[in-house]
Order: sequence, then C-alpha cells, then structure tokens
Amino acid sequence: MISIIGILGITFATAVLSFLLHHLIPKLRNIIVILAVAITGYIVWQLPANPTEITFALGDFNIVWGSTAYSQLFALLIAVLGFFTLLYSSEFMKGRKRLGYFYMNFLFAIGGMYGIVYSQDLVSLFFFWEIMTWSSFMLVIYSSKKAQPIGLKYFVFSAIGAYSILIALLLLYVNVGSVEFSKIFTSFGNISFAVQLSIVILLLIGFGVKSAVMPLHVWAPGAYTISPSPFTALFSGALSKMGVLGIGLVLFKLAAQSGFYIYVKEILAWIGAITALLATFYAIFQTDAKKLLAYSSIAQLGYIITGLAIGTPLSIMAALFLTILHGAFKAALFMATGAVFYRTGSTDMNELTGLIRKMPYTFLTALMGIIAVSGVPPLGGFAGKWMLYQSLINSEHYFLVIVIFASSTAAFLYLYRFIFSLFLGQEEKEYDDVKEVPWIMRIPMLTLVIFTLVVGVMPGLLLEPISSAMAYLGVQSLGFETTVVVNGWGNQIDMFTIMNSIGVLFVIAASFITIKGFKNGRYVTTKDIHTSGEVPTENENLTYAVDFYKPFERALGGVLKPSIDRFYKTTAATLEELFDHLRYIYTGNGQTYAMYVVLFLVILIVFSEMIFGVKL
Amino acid sequence: MEINWIKIIGLIITPIIAFFTGTLYGGSARNITARIQNRYGPPIWQNLFDIMKLYSKSSTIHHGVMQHLGAVWAITASTTTLLFIPILRDSELFVNLSFDGDLIFLLYIMVFGSLGMALGAGQTGNPNSAIGVSRGLTQLVGYKVPFIMALVALMIQFKTTNLNDLLAVQDSFLNWNIFQSPFAFLAAILAFLGMMGYKPFDIVFAPAEIASGPPSEFGGKYLGMMQTSRSIFTFAKLVLFTDLFLGGAENFFILIIKTYLLYMIPLLIGIVNPRFRTEQSVRFFWKWPTAFGIIAILIVAY
Repeated sequence: MISIIGILGITFATAVLSFLLHHLIPKLRNIIVILAVAITGYIVWQLPANPTEITFALGDFNIVWGSTAYSQLFALLIAVLGFFTLLYSSEFMKGRKRLGYFYMNFLFAIGGMYGIVYSQDLVSLFFFWEIMTWSSFMLVIYSSKKAQPIGLKYFVFSAIGAYSILIALLLLYVNVGSVEFSKIFTSFGNISFAVQLSIVILLLIGFGVKSAVMPLHVWAPGAYTISPSPFTALFSGALSKMGVLGIGLVLFKLAAQSGFYIYVKEILAWIGAITALLATFYAIFQTDAKKLLAYSSIAQLGYIITGLAIGTPLSIMAALFLTILHGAFKAALFMATGAVFYRTGSTDMNELTGLIRKMPYTFLTALMGIIAVSGVPPLGGFAGKWMLYQSLINSEHYFLVIVIFASSTAAFLYLYRFIFSLFLGQEEKEYDDVKEVPWIMRIPMLTLVIFTLVVGVMPGLLLEPISSAMAYLGVQSLGFETTVVVNGWGNQIDMFTIMNSIGVLFVIAASFITIKGFKNGRYVTTKDIHTSGEVPTENENLTYAVDFYKPFERALGGVLKPSIDRFYKTTAATLEELFDHLRYIYTGNGQTYAMYVVLFLVILIVFSEMIFGVKL
Repeated sequence: MEINWIKIIGLIITPIIAFFTGTLYGGSARNITARIQNRYGPPIWQNLFDIMKLYSKSSTIHHGVMQHLGAVWAITASTTTLLFIPILRDSELFVNLSFDGDLIFLLYIMVFGSLGMALGAGQTGNPNSAIGVSRGLTQLVGYKVPFIMALVALMIQFKTTNLNDLLAVQDSFLNWNIFQSPFAFLAAILAFLGMMGYKPFDIVFAPAEIASGPPSEFGGKYLGMMQTSRSIFTFAKLVLFTDLFLGGAENFFILIIKTYLLYMIPLLIGIVNPRFRTEQSVRFFWKWPTAFGIIAILIVAY
C-alpha cells in the first residue's frame, strides 16, 4: 500500500466513511479519522521518490501522479499538520453539530492537498485544486449564517484563481500538446513570447489567490477568522502553502525559460514585500485575535513569495524554510487562540485578559509562537529571516530588505498585543473559573512549537530535505551544516553558540533571581498595585487594551485609509449598476426583439465592408 | 575538544567590565545633568550604590512567573548582545563570540530584551506599564528603520555582515566609517538617540506622566537586575557604534574615550530638549534619518 493510490484512497475513503459513521457510530469516527491520517502520514514518509509512479489516459490527457523531493517536502507538511489539527479537533469540536459534514470536508481538503502535491500533470492538479477549494469553502461557511457573505467572497476569489489556472491549462495544452509537467517544462521555451507571458501571469494569479498575495488577499482575513480553529490552523499552515508550491513551479520550471523572467521576478518580489508590510500594518489595528493572526499569515506569506521570487539559492532556501516553519508556528498560534476560544468563547482582544495563570501551557505555546513569528533567536523564525535578509542583501535588493525589515519590526507590535491582551494584564473575575485545555489539545500545539525550537537550533535538519527539493527546481543550495548557516559572502552564524549563550545566561540569571530571597516571594494579584498613589477598587477596569496602538495609528496618518476591499466593492457596485441598465435591453416584448434583429441586419449591411471586407 | 581558557576568561570578565563602565557612565550622566540644571548632583558612584542597595533588599512579592522572568530575559539579551560584539581590535581575550554571529543577529537579539521586559511588564497589570510598552514598541519601529538602513549601507559597502570584517577595513584614522560613509553614520547616530531613550525620545519611561512606564511595578531584586541589564546594554550599544563607525579601539583607554564621547551625544541633546510625543518621534525617525539612510545606500550602491 506504499503508494500514492494508497494515500489518496485512504484519505478520500475515510472522508466518506466519517460522514456515514456520524449517523451510525459517532464515537468510532474520531479514532478512525485520526488513524487514517496517521497511516497516510506514514505512507508519505515511506514513499520513494518516483515522478511517474502512476500513469493512465483520461480521454486525450495523460494523467501522471508521482512524487519528487519537492512534493515530498509539502506532503510531509500536510501529513504532520493534518494529523495534529485532527487530533486537536477531536476535542475542540466535541458537542458541535454536523460533525460528519465537518470531518468529511476536513479529510477532503487533506486529500485534495495530497493530490495537488503528487500531481505531475495540470489536469489532475486542477481537479484536486477544485476539491481542496470546495471542501475549504464548505468549512468556511460551516460555523454560522454570518459566514455566508465571507464564504461567498472566498468562493469568488477562488473561482477567479481556478479560471485563471484553467485558461492557462488550455493555453498550454494548445501550444505544447500535452498537460504532463515533464513535457510542459521541457517545451515551454518554444512557445511564443505573448503566450508565455499570459500563461505565467494566469498561473501566478491562480496560485496567488490561495497564498493571499495582495491585491488578491481580501478573502483571507474573513475566511481565516470565521472557519473553525482546527481548520484555520490547517488553512493557514498547509492550504495556503499550495499556492507557494505552485508559484515555485511556475517561477523555476516555466518562467525561468523565458525572456521576461527577470521582470516577473522583480515585480513578484516587490508584491510580496508590499504584501508583508501592509498586512503587518493592518494586523496591528485588529481587535480580533484570529483576524490579527490572519493578517499575520498574509504578511508571512509575503516574505515567502519575496524569497521565492528573488530566486537565488539562499533566498529559495529561506522561502522554503519559512514555508515549513510558518506552517508549524502559525498552526500552533491558531490552535492557542482556539484553546482560548474553547474555554472562554471569545477571541476579542478588547474583552479577554489575564489568562496566563489559568492556561499556562497555552500561554507557553503562544509565547514560543510569537517569538518564532517575530524572528527573534533562538527559535526557528530567526534562521529563516536571517537567510532571507542575507539573500536580499547579497543579491543587491537593498530597498527590498528595508521594506521587509520594517514589516518584520512592526510585527513586534501586533505580536505583543496578541499575547498581552489574551494572557497578560489584569485578571478579571469573569475568567476566574477558566481551566487549561485537555492534553489532547495541548500536545499538538506544544509539539509544533518545540519543533520550531529544534529547527531553530539545528536548521540543517530542515535544510537537508529543502536542498533536495531545490535540486528538483534546478537550483543548487548553498552550503550549510547542522547548526551553521552561511550567506553568499561567506559570513555565518552558529545557532548552537547562540542557543548556548542565551540558555546559559538565562539559567544563571533565573536561578539567581529565584534563589535570592526565595522564601519571601508571595504572589500578589494584579489589582494589588498603585496607580499614581491610588488604590484601584474591586471593579475598576485598569486594562489598557482598547486602541492599544493609537500613537502608531497617528504616526501613520492616512496611509491605511485606501483599502483594496473598498476598491473591489466599488467596482462590484458600479458593475451591478451597469448591468442593471443593460437589463432594460431585455424588455420581454417580442416586438422589441424583432426590432433588434432588424437593427442588427441594417448595421451588418451598412458596415459589412468595413468589418468583413466584403460587400453583401 | 580543547578548552580555550582565554576565551572563557574573556566571556566572564566582559560582562563585569561592561556593568561597571555602564553604571559609572550613568552616574556621570546624572552629574552632568545636575550641573547643567544648576544642581550639584549625586556622586559618580551613586548608580552603583543604588543597584547594590536594590539587590540587598528582600522582595516580599512578585506578580507571577512572567514578571519574575522579565528582568532575567532582559539581562540575558543584553549580555548576549555584548558577548557577540568584539570589544577590542585584534584582542584574543575580548573577541568573545563575535565570529559566530553577525549584524543581523545583533539587530534581533537587541530587541529580544525589550520583548522580555515588555512581557514582564505586561503581567504586572499596571496600566502605566502597558502604555509604556505600547509607546516603546511604536518608537522601536520608528528608529529601527534608519538604523537598518545605515547597517545595510555598511554591509554592501564592504560586502560583509560580520563586525570583525568591518573592524578590519577601518585600519587607519581616515578609513573610519564615519568618514567613509558619513550619511550612514548620520542615520545611525540619529537612530541611536532613540535607542538610548534620553530626551526627546523618553516618552516610553516618562517618569512624571506614567510613573516610569514598563518597570513601574518592579522593585528590589527585579529592579536591580533591570538596572544591571540597562548598564550592560548601554555599554554594548556604545561599543557596537564604536566598532561600526569609529574604528574600534586598540586598548581600553581609547575605548573609554570613544564610548564616552559617543555617550555624550544623546545625553547632551537630551538635556536641552523637551520631549516628543510618540507619533512625533516616529515621524521624526521616518523623515531625516530615513532620508540620510536612503542617501547612504544610494551612494554605495550606485
């Protein structure tokens, strides 16, 4: 059963089975679902690299499924995140309605993603892409009636993306005569310039929608916020990475053969950087924790796109490193937010406060998660960011590095706000009986953040598979060791020394401050403070959480006023109005239609010479 | 594996030297401020005595584990920053760990301490702390932009991101980076004003308004450790700037002269100036310092 058929078969069969079991034996369902994902994960792990494992003809198209080092990288991400999110949801979703529907779509999404990474031809890629889109759409609208307009927005943008891919597929088929990747990749250089350009742009739009590149991102904040937390973790962690997978293929396998490669690269790199900067600014002013993380995801995807687009060995290493790592830490952060929601029923940062003593493990997850996102050493985010900056500087993208760095620094603002509003600050009475979430929810999130620490100290562990994936893309990776990363100029950092320095100093300082006067230490509540000499009363609210970054908002002025979302809405409204006027043409009166026919004929006769070059 | 005793001794004595130097600089700053304000001011040793006193006090309370570790976090970050900066030129004793890190690492580890302190301050539940943190992080975004521009300018000029290589190219007086890339120096020194947190950029701590902001609920050993960290960090930043722009130092005498002169810049500017509001200071950093940074990059890149 160690084959792609096994992976897809088990996933899709379990999807249907979980829907049926929901009505028969609900208790068995969770066990079967988790087992199925674990088994497929094991198969993915064992799968030998064989780009043409399964081939069959479907009408005129040759369908090819197979695994390469590149697809293995993404497949393992899906396997790990799929397993952990399902483990997490077995507790999180307890007692909700329509769980059969939920698990079926969840597994369909996982299966769709496996299909995408193992497709070696465009037709099956498109097919699985649609499965993934449909099932994720179903989960976006799962929670409430409120979700429907958001789901619609997601669907419209996904449709734009899907049609772009479809048109590109047709163009490729017409010009190359095949839909197999191996044939497309080799003969793409022979197509005419204009067709090449339109194919690349269409594919980039198609994949860009999923990875929420600006200006195609407007669906993401809503869809990430409204979908159930376990799925949001998978959504942001793995599903959005399918766009990255596609963009990587388009850039290095197709666009690299054409004359406009350098321009596409530069434009895409800047789009990624601007996405990162603006999404970070938007994230700073959110009041909903999940929406904040959604914008943060868009920003992080921006870094990844920039890294891919630069196209130097180090930048691709950085992009793929961040791809995997973002999957881990953002999934963990969404799970932590979900855990808070699970216990308090809210993700509103103006409302929540002081949960650190009630949910210490969730706090630990969130803390390590934000350190990883912000890129502060010694966690994994640092190694990724370091490689990204170095590659940008080495490849003479000086202003790009400033934009990326500014966005990365501004990220501290929203990350601190996230952890401060949820876990720190005043403890309120209404959250007195909040308890930590069960272990089955803690294990997934803690494992993921521990992974970011391990990879942070030993980036070589992750760079090993990444360099084989890059070999598939035709790029030789830069030298590295288990703990040492090197840039293009030969400068290096040793994560092991850094970790040791931080670790030793932290332990010394922490022991000192703990042992010193140990017996006297007594915990006082957060109400037991002075504020300019006044003692706060029992019900006084002293939490400073609303409009946390007002000064920053003032500093930015009106920079964030123009909104892409509003632009789309205005366009939609204008078009609606236009079509409303066009409606009057169809009066429903037979005589009017007869007049149209006559008019048409008259026009045809009068202008026939001009149009067809023939006089009727 | 052979144990490099010289390195170990260097690693141990560097933070101690940094602590004493930083504390004495702080004391002399209080003196100078006092003289300008027509007061006598405390003795130069006062800051050292203050910290000793704080450590000797017994704290009876704490606000939870994050507050407990906030100061630990800060001192870890400031000492790590120090250990990854070469203190003297061509000195085996004081090269420390500078070959295993680089400028980008330093940029990030410098924020690590602020983040830890902010988290510690967050758990105390004092609204003044939260306000201070909000201001501090906002201001951080302000001055980091010109600072990274200055660093990028230096990095691309000498095609390296390691401080030791930057030191090696500044081998004579005229080769100091302050003369080689003056615009980068301007951008960096203006960002340095924000980094040091003297006026006009002291709204983060604003003692009269928000009761010194982030550390307002810290006392006793916690405050002592924070002051220690601040002294070490001040020295680390001064040495970093000396290494970046003033050609480093061959011995401690020259190091003291150079760092002390550098220290005077934010101090003297601070004494005679009123305070910026947060958004004003961010805008300040995004105007002239950023323009200097852009010029610096343009000059070396094209």
